Amino acid sequence: MKIIILKENLNNGLNIVYRVAGRNLTLPILNNILIVAEQNFLNLSSTDLELGIKYWALGKVEKEGSLTVPAKILSSFVGLLPEKKIALEVKNQTLYLDCENNQTQIKGLDAQDYPIIPKIEDENFIELNMLPFCEGLAQVVDFTAPNQVRPELSGVYLNFQKDRVQITATDSFRLAEKTLYFEKKISRECSFILPQKTARELVNIFSEKDGQLKLYLSLNQVLFECPMLETPHPQIQIISRLIEGDYPDYQSIIPKKYEVQIALPKNEFLNQIKTASIFSGKNNEVKIKVNPKKEEIEILSQNPELGENKSVLTGKISEASNKTKEIATIFNYRFLIDGLANIKSSTVLFEVNGEEGPAVLRPEGDAHYLYVVMPIKTT
Amino acid sequence: MNTEELWQAMLAQIQFNISKANFATWFKNTEVLAKKDGQVIISVPNNFSKEWLENKYNKLIFKILHSLDEEIKEVKYSVDRPGLKASAAPVAVLESYDNDVPQLEFQELKIHKESNLNPRYTFESFIVGPFNELAQAAAWAVAKNPGATYNPLFIYGGVGLGKTHLLQAIGNEVSRKIPQKKIKYTSSEKFTSGIVNSIKNHDVEKFKSLYQDIDVLMIDDVQFLSGKEKTQEEFFHVFNGLYEKNKQIILSSDRPPKAISALEERLRSRFEGGMIADISLPDLETRLAILKAKAQEKRVSFADDILEYIAANIQINIRELEGALNRLTAYQKLNNKSPDLEIAKTLLKNVIFSPKRLANPEKIIRAVAVFYDLKERDLIAVSRKKEIVRPRQIAMYFLRKELKSSFPFIGKKFGGKDHTTAIHAYNKIAKEIETNENLTEEISLIKEQIYR
Repeated sequence: MKIIILKENLNNGLNIVYRVAGRNLTLPILNNILIVAEQNFLNLSSTDLELGIKYWALGKVEKEGSLTVPAKILSSFVGLLPEKKIALEVKNQTLYLDCENNQTQIKGLDAQDYPIIPKIEDENFIELNMLPFCEGLAQVVDFTAPNQVRPELSGVYLNFQKDRVQITATDSFRLAEKTLYFEKKISRECSFILPQKTARELVNIFSEKDGQLKLYLSLNQVLFECPMLETPHPQIQIISRLIEGDYPDYQSIIPKKYEVQIALPKNEFLNQIKTASIFSGKNNEVKIKVNPKKEEIEILSQNPELGENKSVLTGKISEASNKTKEIATIFNYRFLIDGLANIKSSTVLFEVNGEEGPAVLRPEGDAHYLYVVMPIKTT
Repeated sequence: MNTEELWQAMLAQIQFNISKANFATWFKNTEVLAKKDGQVIISVPNNFSKEWLENKYNKLIFKILHSLDEEIKEVKYSVDRPGLKASAAPVAVLESYDNDVPQLEFQELKIHKESNLNPRYTFESFIVGPFNELAQAAAWAVAKNPGATYNPLFIYGGVGLGKTHLLQAIGNEVSRKIPQKKIKYTSSEKFTSGIVNSIKNHDVEKFKSLYQDIDVLMIDDVQFLSGKEKTQEEFFHVFNGLYEKNKQIILSSDRPPKAISALEERLRSRFEGGMIADISLPDLETRLAILKAKAQEKRVSFADDILEYIAANIQINIRELEGALNRLTAYQKLNNKSPDLEIAKTLLKNVIFSPKRLANPEKIIRAVAVFYDLKERDLIAVSRKKEIVRPRQIAMYFLRKELKSSFPFIGKKFGGKDHTTAIHAYNKIAKEIETNENLTEEISLIKEQIYR
């Protein structure tokens, strides 16, 4: 194998594929990155056997071939090279790198031993706008269930309908749902559960890019692909297994009504919860009292050993079933902070349903995102 | 050699030919899915394994399998499909959600999506006493052998006595034993609204097809079907379809089929065709046992005399027993000490002494008069006009039923009538309530007025 490539291109690719290398401990070769020179491209791949990433960059191929080399060494080394051309050559299972005044050899392993990353045969795809899709995914990805007791809750649920996709995650204490509307209708309706890890990688890799993302789906795998700027050849492919099982009927969780809805300045609300959190007990509880009459909320926390805190925040009541009744609900402050952190607008709508009913946070003027959280039981 | 042994022998041999890491990675969770006509299908956990075995080890695997069994001509690989192993999971779910932090969860997630079953309700947590022995035994028999023993099973009994618990327990038990069975639990109200929606969307057939391939169908509170003719008709077809295929049907109601008014005769006779089991009121010992079980479930403990006090005073509703227990638990958590009997008595005052006792003859007569748009003195005056006689009888019925007044007293109240008149009125109304839907409704509306 012999190929000449710009350092920038190689480095970009390594930064992307490097993420999944070395995650699987049972098979040592997975610490490596697979390098293939083919036609006019340099192809880098890595996998942890659940998720595979492939990256292509244009390069001048003098001789086709392949090798796997340790991901850590290669990526940290290439990162330090000057922004020049790099010549890569494989001889005797060793990678020779030649860049300006640098001559380096890295020992590799045979490419034949590297796992084959599966392909998806289906030609049909769904086209997505990368930026809003990744932003939407980022708003829910943190709320999947961490344990494997309910595998179907450990991933992000994507439900593609004709004109929109709903992205949902829940860990049974809180639930976030983001709806994205398409400009033009898509041809197929489908739904699947994406592992949280894959969702995270998608957000990391594509969040700063703009363009189109193609989604291919098969029975138990999904492929996300983005093309190169210069040619239609794919630049990045992310292929992942899907989580088996049926996602629960979560729509019944989202409260259809509320006892009171109050609009609050988001940043101040967030700050006051953070202040209150300092004095919360071991269950992370803070009490929020909504007073519809005075149009304000009171945030209380107390710890018998540390002390207590009380703060008041004025808002605007948009609707209340009972204007005079004060409603006090106890929440885990972490859950509130997590929800507020994903609300982009400056004003947040806070809806409460009594002491033990689910509460909802929504960005004001944006019906496409919502965050449902269960309170802590009052004892 | 069966397929399992075949695969074990293959694994035993192949481990000498490949590295340990490769063996551990690629052969984990593999098994022979099927063996037929010289073709062996290997189930693999994911696509990576599939690609790898197909492309790298296929020759080796084939060679070994062929040497073990000469008939084998071809080896294929297939990725495990969901559902094959998923069924083992639900049992473990319950325990893992137990934790001490009182963080509330979305209860909806625990309910099984297709069957609508709540795993909380099981036979283990169902307390058996003389009052529900028959129903429990019938339910248990049905769960053991769905479709064969008692079909349909009809369970009836009052509010809060465990009908839903029993129904769901059957469902949970069947799904635990035979996970392939399709089970559906629904309330008759949901069934009705499903029909209404399907009529609106012109796809009644589609709705009915949902119920066609169910193995165990449970419908709760069928008394609400009364008077809904179209729903009854569709339900009749669903019922027949399932019954002919020997699928289990389980129904619950708050009264026996005979007493459900406005129910089509052909449905009624079908309901009565299987087994009818009733749940009556729990006796003192059972109530005590229930309280103790509930307390244990909530991980609280109270002195025996308190539990006895609750059991002795709350007699007809198990849900109320639980409510009383919750009250005491809240007190205990709040004050960090167990309530003694005196405190328990004050705490439970409004649970036990419900406002029922606040009714008096004057209130009843007033409520009845207002309801029928009469004057109070009309009811008391001597008159045999039809529009007055009936309200008067209803008022007499209430006096007897709610206040336990003596018949001579009732007679005196209504303008010095004979006590036999009162007895006749009471019996007449009491009998009519069982069959006349409208009257039942009127009675409950008046009752609301009395206790308001």
